[in-house]
Amino acid sequence: MNWFTLSMPPKDISTNGHLIDGLWNYTTALCIFYFVLVCIGLFGFSFLYSRKRNKTPYYTYGNKKQHIIATAVIGAAVFLTIDLNITRMASNDLLKTFWAYPDPKVEKVLRVEVMAQQWMWSFRYAGADGEFATGDDVVTNNDLRIPQGTKVLFHLTSKDVIHSFFVPNVRLKIDTIPGRVTRIWWDANVPGTYDIACAEMCGNPHYLMKAQLTVYTEEDFQKWMKTSEQIAQNTNDPENKNLAWGWKWEI
Amino acid sequence: MSGGFNEIHPEPTTFWSKYIISFDHKVIAKQFLWYGIFFLGLGGMMALLIRWTLAYPGVPFPVIGNILFPDSAGIVPPDSYAMLFTMHGTIMIFYAITPILIGAFGNYCIPLMIGARDMAFPMLNMLSFWFAFLSGVVLLISLGLPLGAAAGGWTSYPTLSTLIGQPGLGQTLWSLAIFLFGISSTMGAVNYVTTVITLRAPGMGYFDMPLTIWGLWLTAILNAIFVPVLGAGVILLMLDRVFGTTFFLAGASATAGNGDPVLFQHVFWIFGHPEVYILILPAWGIVSDLLSFFSRKPAFGAKATALAMTAVTILSTLVYGHHMFTTQMSPLLTQSFMTLTMTISIPSAIFFANWLGTIWKGSIRFDSPMLFSLGVVFVFGLGGLTGLHLGTVTTDLYLHDTYFVVGHFHYTMAASVLLGGFAGIYFWFPKMFGKMMNEMMAKIHFWGTMIGLNGVFFGMLMVGYGGMHRRIYNPFIYESLQRLIPINTFITLSAIMMGAFQIVFVINFFYSLKKGPKASQNPWEVGTLEWTIPSPPVHHNYDVIPVVKCGPHELGNPNLKNGRDFQYQTEELVQG
Repeated sequence: MNWFTLSMPPKDISTNGHLIDGLWNYTTALCIFYFVLVCIGLFGFSFLYSRKRNKTPYYTYGNKKQHIIATAVIGAAVFLTIDLNITRMASNDLLKTFWAYPDPKVEKVLRVEVMAQQWMWSFRYAGADGEFATGDDVVTNNDLRIPQGTKVLFHLTSKDVIHSFFVPNVRLKIDTIPGRVTRIWWDANVPGTYDIACAEMCGNPHYLMKAQLTVYTEEDFQKWMKTSEQIAQNTNDPENKNLAWGWKWEI
Repeated sequence: MSGGFNEIHPEPTTFWSKYIISFDHKVIAKQFLWYGIFFLGLGGMMALLIRWTLAYPGVPFPVIGNILFPDSAGIVPPDSYAMLFTMHGTIMIFYAITPILIGAFGNYCIPLMIGARDMAFPMLNMLSFWFAFLSGVVLLISLGLPLGAAAGGWTSYPTLSTLIGQPGLGQTLWSLAIFLFGISSTMGAVNYVTTVITLRAPGMGYFDMPLTIWGLWLTAILNAIFVPVLGAGVILLMLDRVFGTTFFLAGASATAGNGDPVLFQHVFWIFGHPEVYILILPAWGIVSDLLSFFSRKPAFGAKATALAMTAVTILSTLVYGHHMFTTQMSPLLTQSFMTLTMTISIPSAIFFANWLGTIWKGSIRFDSPMLFSLGVVFVFGLGGLTGLHLGTVTTDLYLHDTYFVVGHFHYTMAASVLLGGFAGIYFWFPKMFGKMMNEMMAKIHFWGTMIGLNGVFFGMLMVGYGGMHRRIYNPFIYESLQRLIPINTFITLSAIMMGAFQIVFVINFFYSLKKGPKASQNPWEVGTLEWTIPSPPVHHNYDVIPVVKCGPHELGNPNLKNGRDFQYQTEELVQG
C-alpha cells in the first residue's frame, strides 16, 4: 500500500461519519486549490522575475485601482468559498445531526453511561429494569458492545482528570470532564470490533487507555444483553464500591 | 515623537555594566539571542528524543540514551516521554521563539528602525531579560527533581496538573517559571509599545514604520494584554497545588471541589490563542519587509498589510474557543467561535496577495534572508490552510488532539516562525556583529531545513488524518495505527536530518562571528534607518536623531539618478 492509502482514516462504520469525511474532502479540495495558486505565484514569480531575467523592477506601491480590486477579489473569493460555505455546512451538521440528541422517549435508543478514570473506561447499561444506578445495571470495563443500526446515546463523565472519548471509526470524540456530564450519540452499521481511545493527555499511561468497541447484529446483542443482565442480577454486589459510580439518567 | 528622554547615555565602562547588567538594547537583544538559541537547541534535542520513541518504540536512544535513562537501558520511559513533550512545548514557545523573535529582534530592531537611541525604559528592559533568565533557571531546575518536571502537556490542563495528576514539585515550578516569564514578557511588551509610540524619529508616521516594527508592535500590544491573564491562571493553579484551594477541582470522588477544570481552559486559551499570533506577527513583519527589500521594489499594498495585521490582532482575541470544541460548550458559542475563526482567512488572504504582489515583477535577489522569507510564504500557506479543518467544528471533532493538530501548529508556529527567525538572523547579523555570514552555508542550511521540516510536519498531518492521536508513548499498541509505522519512521528520519542541518547554522554563526568578512554599513542595500549608521552601531546608535522623509520600502524608483536603486528613509522622495 502506498502512503496515501495508509494515511486514510479508519473505515467509517457510522451513518453520519460521511458528513465529516465529506466536509474534510471539500475543505481539502479548497486548500489544495488555494495552495496551488500560492505556489504558482511563489515559484512562477521567483522564476520569471529573478535578477537575471528581470533587471528593472516594476516600481509600484500596489495601490493602483486594479491592484486594490485584485486583492479585494482574492479576499472576497476566500470569504465566499471558504468562510460562508464551510461555516454553513458545519453548523448544519452540528445542529441537525451530531449535537441533535435522539430522545429515548420517542425512538429506540440505547443509553450508555460512561465513566473514564486513570486509565480505563467503564460502561454502564440500564439493565433489566431500565433504570440507571440500580443494582441490576450491566457494567463493563474497557468493553463496549452495541447493536448494529441502533442509535446509542452516551452520557459521559470522569472520575479524576479530563479524558476524551475518541472513536476513530465514527469520526467523533468528546471530552469527559470531572464534575460535568457531556453527551454524544452515534450509530454503527458494520458489525466487527474497533478501537476506542483516550485522546486527552491523562497521565503517563495515557497511551494504554484503550477500550474495545464491538458492534453486534441485533440478535447477537440481545443474546449478550440477556446473559449479562442475568449475570448482573445474580452477582452484582451492592457493597462493591467499583460498581457504585452510576447516576440517575437525566436529559 | 522624540520626547525629552531620548538623550545620549554615557557608555558603560566595566565588563559587568557593559555585558551583564546592561541597559543597552543592543546588548540585551544579544543576551536574548544567546538565551533563545540555547533553549532552541535543548528543545530540539527533546524533539528528537520524542520522535525516536515514536518511530522505534522500545529501542534505546543512540549514543546519549544510556546517560539520560540509565534505569531503562537507554530506552525513553513513559514518564520521561510525558515530561519531554511537555517541556519541548514549553521551552520552544516560551524560551526559544519568544526570546529570539520578540526578545532579540524586538530589542534590536525597534530602536534602530525607528531612529531612537534606546528603548523608552532601559532599566525595565534589563529587568525583562533577567526575569526571563530567572524563569529559565527555575525551569531547568525542575528538570532535575526526583519526581521529574511537569508532565501534563504544555497546556497543563487541570485536573491533571493539580496534585491528583502531577504530585511533586515539577508542575509547581513550571507554573512559577511561566509566571516569572510572564513578568518578563509584560515588561518587554510595555516597553516596546511605549517606545514605538513615543520615540519614533521626527517625520516618521505609523505607516512610515517598517512592517517589522508593525509586527513587533502589535505583538507587544497582545503580550501586554494577554500575558497577565496567563499569569493569573497559573497563580490560581499554584494556589490549588500548594494551598489546597479548589479553583479547578470539581466532581464527586477523587477530585471533589466546587471549582471547574474547564475554567482553566478558558483562561489558558484566551491567552493561548493570541499567543499564536504573538509568535507569528514578528515573523510576518520581517517577511513582509524582506520580500520587498530583496525584490528591489516597494512592498505591495504595505498599508493594507499593516491593517490586515491589525485586523488579525483584533480577531485573534475573539476566537480562542476553537481550542475547546470537544468540551461541548453551548452550540451558540461553538458556532460563534467557528465563524469568527473563519473570518481570519480574509486578512490572511490579503497577506498572501500582498506578499506575492511584492515579488511580482520584481528583480529578485536570492540571498539567504530572501530564501528563508519565501520559505515562510510556502510553509505558512500550508499551516494556515490546514487551520480550516480545525476551525470547522465537525471536522475538528475527528481531528482534535490528533497529530493533524500537531502538524498544523508546527507549520504555523514552528516552521513559519523558525524560518522567519532565521531570515532575520541572516539579515541583521551584519548589523548586529559587524561581520558577514557565509552565504553558501546559509543556503545549504536553508534547503536542509526546508526539506526536513516539510517531511516532519507534512508527515504529521498524514498520520493525524490517519487517526493517530497525540501525546501517546507507543501508538502501535493500537492495531489500527500499526499501518502508520512507516510514515512515523519517515517523520523521525526527516527530523534527524533537519536537526543535522542546524549544525551547519551553528558552525556558520560562530565561525562568522569570529572570522567572517567585515560587513559594510549597508550590505543589503536597503534604506531603513538602521542601515544609515555603521555596523555594528555605536553605543548611542545615532549621533544626530535622523529626520524621516520617506517610507521604508523606497526601492527601484526609476527617477533615482545617483547610481543607487534605493533611497534612505532620511532622503526626500525623488519624484519624476
